[in-house]
Formats: sequence, structure tokens, C-alpha cells
Amino acid sequence: MGGNPGWAGETGEFGHLTEADVRGTTYVGARPPEGTTPGASCAYPYQVATRAPDAPLFEGPYRARLEKILSRYPDRQGALLPVLSLAQEIRGHLSPESMAQVAGALGLAPAYVRGVASFYTMYHKQPVGEHVIQVCTNVACNLCGGDDVLAAFLKATATEPGEISADGKYTVIAAECLGACGFPTAVQVNETYFENVTPDDVPAILERLAQGAPVASPAAPARGS
Amino acid sequence: MANESNDTVNVTINGIAAAVPKGACIIEAAEQLGIGIAHYCYHPGLSAPAMCRMCLVEVEGAPKLAPACVTTVAEGQVIHTESERARAARTGTLEFYLLNHPLDCPICDKSGECKLQDYTHAEGREHGRSVEPKRVLGLDDFGGDILYHGNRCILCTRCVRYMREIAGDDLLCVVQRGHRSVIDTFFEEGVEHSLWAGNIVDICPVGALLSKDFLHKARVWDLDHTPSICPNCAQGCNIKLDTRDNLVMRVRPRLNPAVNSYWICDYGRHHYEWINQPERVQTPLLRREDGTLGAVSWEQALTAVLARLQHRPGPLLVIGSPMLGNEDNGLLARVAELLGGGELLYRSAQADHEVVCPGFPALARRHDLSANARGLELFGFRRTGDAAGEGGLPAVGGATVIVLGDALEDLPAAFGHDAALMVVLGQRLTPAAANAHVVLPVCTFAEQEGTFTNVHGRVQRFWPALQPPPLARPAWQVLGVVLAGLGDGAPAPTAGGAFMRLGELHPELAGLSYEQLGPLGALLNEPVQLPAGKGA
Amino acid sequence: MAYPYRDERETRILSAHFGDPAARTLAGWRQRGGYQALQQALGMSPEQVVDIVKNSALRGRGGAGFPAGLKWSFLRNDGRPHYVLVNSDESEPGAFKDRELCRWTPHQVLEGALINAYAIRAQHVYIYMRGEFFEPAQIVARAIDEAYAAGIAGPDVLGSGVGIDVTLHLGAGAYICGEETALMNSLEGRRGQPRVKPPFPAVFGAFGQPTNINNVETLCAVPHIIRNGAEWWRSFGTEKSTGTKLFNMSGHLVRRGNYEFPLGFNMKELIYDVCGGIRDGRSLKAVIPGGSSVPMLAAHEIDIACDYESVAKAGSMLGTASMIVMDDRTNIVKQVRRMVEFYAHESCGQCTPCREGTEWLARIMRRIEAGQGTEEDLDMLVDLGKNMTGTTICVLSDSAAAPVISSLAKFKDEYLALIGRAAPVAAAV
Repeated sequence: MGGNPGWAGETGEFGHLTEADVRGTTYVGARPPEGTTPGASCAYPYQVATRAPDAPLFEGPYRARLEKILSRYPDRQGALLPVLSLAQEIRGHLSPESMAQVAGALGLAPAYVRGVASFYTMYHKQPVGEHVIQVCTNVACNLCGGDDVLAAFLKATATEPGEISADGKYTVIAAECLGACGFPTAVQVNETYFENVTPDDVPAILERLAQGAPVASPAAPARGS
Repeated sequence: MANESNDTVNVTINGIAAAVPKGACIIEAAEQLGIGIAHYCYHPGLSAPAMCRMCLVEVEGAPKLAPACVTTVAEGQVIHTESERARAARTGTLEFYLLNHPLDCPICDKSGECKLQDYTHAEGREHGRSVEPKRVLGLDDFGGDILYHGNRCILCTRCVRYMREIAGDDLLCVVQRGHRSVIDTFFEEGVEHSLWAGNIVDICPVGALLSKDFLHKARVWDLDHTPSICPNCAQGCNIKLDTRDNLVMRVRPRLNPAVNSYWICDYGRHHYEWINQPERVQTPLLRREDGTLGAVSWEQALTAVLARLQHRPGPLLVIGSPMLGNEDNGLLARVAELLGGGELLYRSAQADHEVVCPGFPALARRHDLSANARGLELFGFRRTGDAAGEGGLPAVGGATVIVLGDALEDLPAAFGHDAALMVVLGQRLTPAAANAHVVLPVCTFAEQEGTFTNVHGRVQRFWPALQPPPLARPAWQVLGVVLAGLGDGAPAPTAGGAFMRLGELHPELAGLSYEQLGPLGALLNEPVQLPAGKGA
Repeated sequence: MAYPYRDERETRILSAHFGDPAARTLAGWRQRGGYQALQQALGMSPEQVVDIVKNSALRGRGGAGFPAGLKWSFLRNDGRPHYVLVNSDESEPGAFKDRELCRWTPHQVLEGALINAYAIRAQHVYIYMRGEFFEPAQIVARAIDEAYAAGIAGPDVLGSGVGIDVTLHLGAGAYICGEETALMNSLEGRRGQPRVKPPFPAVFGAFGQPTNINNVETLCAVPHIIRNGAEWWRSFGTEKSTGTKLFNMSGHLVRRGNYEFPLGFNMKELIYDVCGGIRDGRSLKAVIPGGSSVPMLAAHEIDIACDYESVAKAGSMLGTASMIVMDDRTNIVKQVRRMVEFYAHESCGQCTPCREGTEWLARIMRRIEAGQGTEEDLDMLVDLGKNMTGTTICVLSDSAAAPVISSLAKFKDEYLALIGRAAPVAAAV
């Protein structure tokens, strides 16, 4: 693996940058669960490793975030995607019960919420592993071995696509274009992109994940909270 | 070609030049010219998402084919619905529709009234080209009366939009996207508590949504369809009675823009079994010396009725039926008048609240769970009894009682045995009715022509859908003979004639005739006008 | 500089600060001349701002190439709420420029959006970013925080008395939400399904109000155009394709990445000189010049200028200038199969030709790739592609057909080689 742990392999002419430089972690800083300015509070990572499937949805700091979200749309229905994202951020996936609660909070019919939630790929309707590993196999990465990277992850985690590994840590999925086509193969693990991934990089990436929140999402709630 | 006025534009469709209403879409304009354009997702009572792609037509000057259901007519447009491009588009699209469709026609209830069948037969390819296995989405019970066959679904979303826009209850949704799309409810929740869900079976263009009640019951090409009025509440929804083997197989709505639009409620839709009464009085019956009822001819029965009415003792009690038409009850009231008057009563079940249709508020399942209470009130009948339509009748010892239609089901077997004279014009011989001196078999509303007056005073016609028992007669006909015998003039030979007779007796009905009522009805006291718009 | 390689032939305007972490911050952006253009714009009338953008002949960078200034001019001063939508849903296979713009220069995006909002009298800017872009989203979110703190967004933008709010909205994984009306539906909390047009967004857009929606790259050009003038922008590129463009170079190249060149730059030079040619000493077989939705070009067809007109004349489209380069080992059938599977996965499902057709195409392609195809299948593919083109609400259906039709036209021998063969072609990518 290359010298920069932010991604695997070559980094072009910017090898002097640190991972934090590229990911902008210093710039982003802490993003508290209650949100910052309302306009920036509708977009938090909702694919995070720490989750509490039975946690109440809209209490404490999340209540404050909900209020900020609601203030940004002319009607409550407009807030549906950010609120579904909030529910998944807290609980890890969208169960029927979570959908019903979101529906109640926004004054929408539960069936309507189900119809919207089921449309989008990133809303998981079933529980997923702690680390959702999405490997791009679309054409630009496919030309550069995307299928092999996917196979390598499946083998290393001993899972079938979409399943949860035995230890509950991993779910591996083939993804559509992740928008990092210049750095094949692009792999998204929860809220983090890994670029220029080859099958040889897979063990190191999994090792890094096993060490726990290697590039903690600035917005991810601290473990145990 | 008319000059353009403020509210029409001139267009040419398939070579026919016409002025059509401004703001109409092409599919509506074409309809007015008698040109049908194939469509699935469009429905005149719902929003138009233009997603089925069947209604694509060629508009001269436009590079792409235009969806006729959302393209507004513009001055000077030249439209071709049958050009090569339009036909090729439909044929191509139909192939996509049939790609995963299971071709269940032999076991599908929709067969015979299925728009996929119809369009494919007209313009589809003869053979499918796909060798791929079809997707399987399975069968789902949506609760209540509704079954959903995912494999047959063409994702037109009429059902989803209907539940949202008309039933006012977002109970259905499209789940997933792309070729994995399917219609579903919110998991285990169903549609059973919506009073308006049954309409989705009608508007489904294919056999994806089915009525459990109608499942595998009858082939639609074996059915006769008769325009009628729903008798189950005072809204007077316009319906079609679909019959076979002299039984009502199902009830479907008939368009009336002033009453029920394209819809009916589930209460009316499913409440038809009572029309298929098996046990009917087959012949006129007369009480013999030994006290038993014996079959007689109509002449004998009516002679006996007239004879006894001339000398009828005691007060007169007349019980009408809001499940029978104006002609029947109105002439009964006239009989009472000629006999010197009496008490005119009727009973009707009632619901404790109305259920308004959110998307068409003029339509509601009304309090009165009978068809013609308003009609009876006009003739001087007074409501009695409780909300179940029971009780409320006085003691009839020594009285003359004439009963029309009311089965007296709730009454004890002794009711009427001490009446001085009891004449029953009815359909069934319940224990109380069996105390009559004379029983005259009459038709149900479904077996005769007539009119109901709904809660808003709209007088609407119904037509006979079933054959009565061979010796039964419409009550207005029987009462016409009785009235003739009482000196009221020759009996009207037709129901329409009976209706005109009522117009002579009651000013509110004056000026109306069967021709004017047509298939859509008219309001009491309304100025004379021709029935408007399209019919059944 | 473009990222991650720099070429001295580049004209780096939008990408001047790629790879420069200090440019992210508000202070850093201001040091680099940021928000001067916004200040300038606020000193003009909205109509004047629109005129400058119109005169620059800037064309939309999201794929359609529609003149941006013309789009801006569609909105009237009608007193209704207006909205600016920033389309950051970049999901077209091959496109990876908006992510770079957002994560390196979030304030550039913000500035362009605010100028757009001022010019069309919009009170609210929504930045719709695809859900997978969590990291760029956090960067843009921070930039929004900074902007509000500094009075650049909010009730009184830079003291002008004009109020403009900014909200960052994340998608949830649906390529179709990059289509402008589908994006609006998704923003409104609906399924991301495209709407029928007309009505157009300028009349009936987000929340039923007049709306302008522009791609991230389009808006990033705006501050530079305001600062330097329309004529300056027109001095780059060609007469009808003005300005510079971020070229997204991917596939079997030596130096993949983003490069910024004036429109009209030669494609052959771009591939062989700037990007170092084909890796591993292989030779070129095909290029998809504008993202997977456009027809592919064979190796002998690439000596053309990269502008909207020239690429259209060559039988394809410039689109997002996302060039996917395929070498001679490429199994064209496999790649087309993968692309068609992508469209089948992403179809919203409204229109039957797309919903059924994309999956049907995918199944046929899988069969052909596995050696179970027939010649009739090839004819059928062309016919199906025709039935899927021009018959739907949006052009995803057309996009799914495009790689099939163009590859059959130009690489039919690859298909024929698989017809009737028992095993797939070995050792190909």
C-alpha cells in the first residue's frame, strides 16, 4: 500500500498531502449531533458504524437537529429525506417501525414514507454490518478490475453480496458509479471513500476498519453515546 | 370550422377539423370527436402522470411524440393518432408491457374487460420475442376485498393515485424502483378500513387488483350490464348491475358527474346479495275459509282486494318501502288518499354518521341506508322505527293495513293476525306477512323500471336487470289496476306513464319525464332541460 | 491545478486550487480573490448579472449544454418565491469533477450559487448532493457555517439588504435524481421520479415555484465570469462552446484525473499527450467521450475537437466531458452489459419502455456475454433500442440504448465472436 493511508496506491503529484488534507477533516472539525447552522444540518453522514437500533429517534440533540431540518423546507414533506437519513444515522437501518415514526413526526402516511424510502438505494430496509463496504463495479472501475476488488472483499469477509458477516462487522455490496472514476477502483466504506483500491489492498483496509473508526466521521456520535 | 372564440381552439385530429375547449388535453379533445386514444395511467377522475406511454400521438411540427393525456390543445395543432410513428410506438410499448406479464388470461378475472388484452389484440405483436424468464412478484392480500397480483401489474399507479386523491387515504405506494417496482401497502397494514377502496379494482386496467368477492365467480362476457341506482343509501350512486343466471354477480359504478363521479363506496358495492333473494312469493295468494293462504290468479286476487277495500273497516295504515321506486310508493299514497287518508309510514335503517368521499365531497355514504326516503317523504310518508329500521309500527288490530315492500321481518309472527284487512305487496313471506288476507307478488327494484329520489332531491332512473318470478308484477302496475278500480282513471301502461301521473299529483315532479331524466337524472323543481353529458 | 496530475497546457480557472487545502476555508478563499465577484454582482441589478452570464455564452456543464444565461433569464420578477438548486448529484459513470469542486473549493460553489440566487431573485439555495458524497458534504456544510457566520449567506448578504438562505440536502442513492425534475421531486420528499415537461422548472420547479437548477461546475464558472467579464470567458474555447471545461479522464490511461482545458482542445492530444496515452503499452480501442450515456467512438474517430458541436458532429455528445478510455483488451460486450445493468438498476420505473426495456436489454446482454446469444438477438437489440428512444418522460431510456446501439454499430465483430460460442472470451476486461 502507498504511503498515504487515505487511499491505496498512487496519488499522482499530490503525495505530499496528508490524508487529513485531502479528506478535509481538520477543516470540517466537530459536527455535533444537534447540528450547526440550520442550513448545514440537513446533511450528516447516515451510514455510520455506531448505531443504536432501539434508540428513540427524536430526543435530546436529535430533537434540536430535527427542528433545524424542519425549518429549512416550506412543508414537512420536504424534510422527509433528511429525517429518514437521521433515523438511519441513529438506528443503522430503516425498519417499518422507524418509517412509521418518521411518518408520524412529519404528518405523512406510513405507506407514503415506505414508498419514498424504498426508492433509494442507500436506505437499508434490513440491518447491515457495522461497515458497509460498497465496491464500484461500474464501467470506469470495471475496466480497471472493479470486479476483482469486489471478489476480494467478499472472500476476505466470507460473505455473499448484501449479507452480514458472521461477526456482524461487514456487509459487502457492489455499487454503481461513486463519482471517483479517476481513481479506480473506488470503494466506499460507510462515510469514507477509499480510492485506487486493488485486491492487494483489501487486507490492509479491513485491518484498518478492525482497529475501529480509522477515519472517524466528524459527525459520527462517539461510541457508547 | 368555427372562428376561435374565447374558450375554444381549432385543431385537426386524424383529418377531422374541430373547435375543442381551450385547456383540454388532446385525449379529451379526441374523445369528444369520437376518437379513442389508448391509455392506462390516464383516468379522467384522477391526475395524469403521463407515464404509461401508450397515448403518445404525433403532433405535426414537434420532434418527439407527445403524450395526449397531458398535452394541452393549441390553436392550429394537427394531430395524428394513427400515423405510422404513433402505431409503431404503441406496438413497441405493448411489447414491453407483455414482457413480464404472465398471460394468465385463462384464469384471470379481468379477461374480457382487460385493456392489455384489448390493445394487444388491436395493435400488439403477434409473438413475443423475449426468451428471458419472467419476473415473479407474487400474490398479495391487500386486506378487505382486495387481492393484488404483482405479476400482472403494469405499474400504471392508478390505484396509488386514487387512494391518495379520491379515497383520501394514502394506503398504497410503489415500493422499490425500476423493474423491481411493485405496489404494496405499509407492510401488514391493509386497505380494509377505507370505505372507498373497492374502486381500485374497477380502475385497474388489468387483472392485477381483484375483488375477492368476484374472484372466479363469472366470466365478464357472460354478464349483462344494466344501468341502475345503488339502493343501499340515499346518495343514489349510479351503478351497473352485472348479472348472470338471473343473479347479481357484482355492482360497478356508472359515471354521473353530479352525483358520484366515477366512484361508489364499498358498502353499496358489496351489499347486493339481498337482491338475489331466493325465496320469493311466486303467485298471488288469498286467504281461504280455512285460514290458509291459497294460490289464485291475479284477477281473483285484485277482485278480492277491491271488494274488501270498498268496505274496509277501521283506520288505514299504509307501510311503504324506501327500497322501491317513486312510481310504486307514489301510487300507493294515491290509493291511501282515495280511501280517505290514513297513516303513511316507512322504515329505513340508518347509519350514525355520513362518510364523505374526500376527493369528491358531493359523494358520501349517507345516513339513510335506503334509496328512496326522500321520494317517500314527498308523497306524505313519515319515517318510523329505529336506526336498524325496526319497530315503530302501531298496533293494527281492527285496522286496514296495506304493506308495500317492507318484509316485516322484525315483527312477531302475530303481527297483523287481528287486522281487519291486510294486503301485502311483497317479495317474501315472512311470518308477519303471512298473516295477510291477500299477498301480491311484486318486483324488487332490480326487476323493474322506476325512479329513486336521492337525498339531494335528484330523481334518477333505474332499469330492470333481473327477471322476477313469472307471476310477479311491478307494484306500480298492480296499484294502477287498484286505482282504476277505485275510479281514478285508466292505469298507466308503462312506468314512465306512472311517473307522469305522479307529476300530475305532485308539483315537484311536474315537468319531469323519463326522457328528461335520461341516464343521469334531474333535480326536483329543476327547470326542464335535456340530460347532459355522456351516459353509462 | 487539476487533480491529481498537472499539465502545463491546462488553463486552470475553476480547478486552480485543487490540491490546496488552504483554499477550502473562507479566509483562504477570500485570499484567493473569493467573494469579490459576489460583491460585484450585488452592486449591479439582477438583470445585469444575467446579461453578463448570457453574454459569456456559458453552457451548462451537467451534460445537456444548455446556455446557462438563457436559463437564468427565464425567471421573471414576479414576486413569487424563487429557488436556486445546485445539482451536485454527480452519478454519471465517468464523471468525477463536481466531487473535486466541492471538496477542494466549497466556497467557489457557494459563491456561484449565491450570484445565481441574486440574479434570479431567489431567496433560497438548495445544494442537492448525492448521498454517497458524505465527505464533500461535510466540507460544504462547514463552508455554509462559515458563510452564515460571515454574513455571506443569510438575511443580509454582504450588507446588501438581500436575503439568501442556503441549505445542503443529501440524496440517498439514485442516479435518476441527477435529472433536474427528479431532483426537485427528491428535494420535495418524494420518490425521485422525473416530471413531465412542460411545465419547465422556470415556471413550475421546486415546491411548485420558479426555479433555476444548474450543475456545480456551471456555477463555479460564474464568479470568474463576473470578475473578469463575459468577453474574457469567451476568449477561451470556441465560438459556441465558450470557456474552459473540467475533463474527467478515466479508464486505461497512464494519467487519469481531472484536467481543465478550453473547450475545443483536441481529444487525441488530450488522451495521448496530456494523459500519457494507454497504460501498459496497449493500444486504444474505444472512447466514450461524455459519460456512459453517450455513443462510443472508435479509436480512429478521436481526432476531433472537444466541444459540443464537434463531438455531436462525430456522432456522439460531449455531455459532461467524462472520457472513459478503453484499450484493445477490453471486452466491449462485457462493458456494455455492465452499463446496461447500471441503467436497469437506476431506472425509476415510471415509464414502461424504460422499466421493462432496460432489464430486458441487460438480460439479453448477459446471455450474449455468456455465449448464449443469437444473431436475432443482435437485430432485436437494435429494435428495442429504437423503441426505448424518444418514448419516455426522461432520457434514461435513451441513455441505456445508446451504448448498445453504438457498440453494435462499431464493434459488431465482438458480438459476433460471442454468438454461438460456448465460453466467454478469455482474459479480457
